[in-house]
Amino acid sequence: MENEIRIGFIGNPNCGKTTLFNAYTGANLKVANWPGVTVEKKEGQTTYQGQTCRLIDLPGIYSLTSYTMEETVSRECIMSDEVDVIVDVADASCLERNLYLTLQLIELGKPVILALNMMDIVEARGMEIDLHRLPEMLGIPVIPVSAKRKTGLSILLHAAAHHKDPAKQSPFIHHHHGKVSFHPHNHHEEYAMVYEDYIEDKIDAITEILTEKYPSLPNKRWYSIKYLEQDRSVEKQFPLDLEHVIDRSYEADIINQKYNFIEEVIDEVLVNKSQKEAKTDAIDRYLTNRWLGLPIFLAIMALVFFLTFTVGDFLKGYFEIGLDAFSEAIRKCLVSLQTNDMLISLVVDGVIAGVGGILTFLPNIFILFLALAFLEDSGYMSRVAFVMDDIMGRLGLSGRAFIPLLLGFGCSVPAVMASRALEHKKDRLKTILITPFMSCSARLPVYVLFSSMFFGKYAMLVCYSMYLLGILVAVTTAFILSRIDGSRSEQALLIELPEYKSPSAGTIAIYVWEKVKDYLTRAGTVIFAASVIMWAILNFGPSGYVTDISLSFGSCLGRIIVPLFRPVGLGYWQIVVALIAGIAAKEVVVSSCSVLFGIQNITSGHGMAAMTASLASLGFGTANALSLMVFCLLYVPCTATIATIRREVNSRRLTALFVLFQLATAWITSFLVYHISLLF
Amino acid sequence: MVLKQGIDGRTYRVLSIHIEFQLERRLEALGLTRDTRITVLNNRKRGSLIVKFRGTRFALGKRIANHIEIAEVTE
Repeated sequence: MENEIRIGFIGNPNCGKTTLFNAYTGANLKVANWPGVTVEKKEGQTTYQGQTCRLIDLPGIYSLTSYTMEETVSRECIMSDEVDVIVDVADASCLERNLYLTLQLIELGKPVILALNMMDIVEARGMEIDLHRLPEMLGIPVIPVSAKRKTGLSILLHAAAHHKDPAKQSPFIHHHHGKVSFHPHNHHEEYAMVYEDYIEDKIDAITEILTEKYPSLPNKRWYSIKYLEQDRSVEKQFPLDLEHVIDRSYEADIINQKYNFIEEVIDEVLVNKSQKEAKTDAIDRYLTNRWLGLPIFLAIMALVFFLTFTVGDFLKGYFEIGLDAFSEAIRKCLVSLQTNDMLISLVVDGVIAGVGGILTFLPNIFILFLALAFLEDSGYMSRVAFVMDDIMGRLGLSGRAFIPLLLGFGCSVPAVMASRALEHKKDRLKTILITPFMSCSARLPVYVLFSSMFFGKYAMLVCYSMYLLGILVAVTTAFILSRIDGSRSEQALLIELPEYKSPSAGTIAIYVWEKVKDYLTRAGTVIFAASVIMWAILNFGPSGYVTDISLSFGSCLGRIIVPLFRPVGLGYWQIVVALIAGIAAKEVVVSSCSVLFGIQNITSGHGMAAMTASLASLGFGTANALSLMVFCLLYVPCTATIATIRREVNSRRLTALFVLFQLATAWITSFLVYHISLLF
Repeated sequence: MVLKQGIDGRTYRVLSIHIEFQLERRLEALGLTRDTRITVLNNRKRGSLIVKFRGTRFALGKRIANHIEIAEVTE
């Protein structure tokens, strides 16, 4: 244990802390451009010159007070013996705000190292940071790093290993702009952050009282400052009679003076400040304009879906040709090896048909996430919260709730997790309930398949309308709920709007790769397993291995539930089985269909023709297809989402209630859609 | 006057913030305290507004903006 250094990573939200942590540990923690990604601390390990370094990733916070869950977790962890050295990760392109936390960390008295992340953005903006002056003023080592390009990593560990002894402090070199202090001590030689005389006098007075009452308390200066701020947890832990010293809360004074010092630091170390700020203002004039903001947002989203369908479909064609050839080659190969029929059926009809069918949607998914990554990395996403705030307010939700909803277009799992950014529990629960109604990318294959089979040239329009219907149902649900619980909009939006930047290829590549990998992993695991299970329950029945699918277990099971689905136009046992299987993951509805109807390349022209024919023979027409798509849009989210909801709401009963509500909504909406479309 | 009455492009000085404890502390942690200079960038009539203080832009809800007392900076 002697050789182990424990390093705590801390920083503002959005500073690239988790990316840096991942660069060391190789762990694939979730990284998202949204505060609240790291809520509990995570640990990893690496070695540096034979020393074990235990790395602790803490939630992103703006300050070290103890008013939020994240702040409390971080503060307690840092102050405990769990951490030897603090690595404060700062977004160098936003130094002013980041330094506030840095000053608080320095005051804490533990060894701190400032890791300046995102230096590339600083350079790209034509700014420069004086890396000699900054450590002089702060009295701590400052190491420029790039989490993305993995530069400066070993130097940072080196600094941590050498700086873990709190006794070794760097000297401070401050200029005082001719100001003369009348305070009896010259703290400028000891501390980076020195307050005005009236505060320093009080700190001295409190320190004296503290020394008398709690002589063994370390870093009394920090505690004294906390008493001046009337910090509740310190007052409770170490009660002190300070009535004659503290007549009011000095918190605002302390914050102000810290920011004044930061201004001084920024003035000295930042060269070419705010050269490109004007650009952000100019862009914002249009994107957040009172009249143009909303239409621009809708246009951007329409463009995203247009690209997803056109470019995605174009690429998908090639995937299908490849899949066809592959499937045929494998079949021939297995036949020539004289493999038994059952195994050939399992491989070709079960695995290749199921998994392969899903893989052909990869181009659509890829384009969708590419577009979303582009919007997120450029800084536009937080503007959306501002643009949508008014509309969301009328629905009884905060503008912030729009981000989880928007993420829901990608995948419900991170979307449900993103609802953590909402402060009020009621808001959070409402958002979690309606987020799965936003059409996630897994549902896309279902729409693409059924709309191209039944709606010909209107296919894209039908797909887009599914997305709109999802939004409509989510919005209506939120509206009705806010009427029921009588909650008015909080109108307390508070969100940082970062400066626009041209998205970095690296960040986008990582983001898209993560999603594509997720999709591939799901295809290889959940969908693979589901396809095999589907094949099994469809090829075995009470009488053993059957070639007639209608004698299988699947058929029996489907037939039991069919009556429930007849009113919504889905009274076909094959469809019912596919829907049940779809709870594993929504794409499974498509892969199951290919297994159920014995079609190998379901998304290709002849595959779809074969499927349309077999569906038509069952009496399954346009209205049924529409009902199926609506049902898929709204019914129980996938198992991963249910598990996430369960974790976030922390109640099994509530989770069950949510799922039931979603099922009921799906049934009712499909019923309406089915019967209305039958009229035409 | 309150922040919600601010005019686009003008800079003000914060006089006081009267909002529930929790929210006030969050604003303070972000650097919005008494005497902070705050520039109104986009004050749409009905809802939230965009402001800039301590070098960063923020979107603020109407209720928050209605509870921040400001004065025009005259210099």
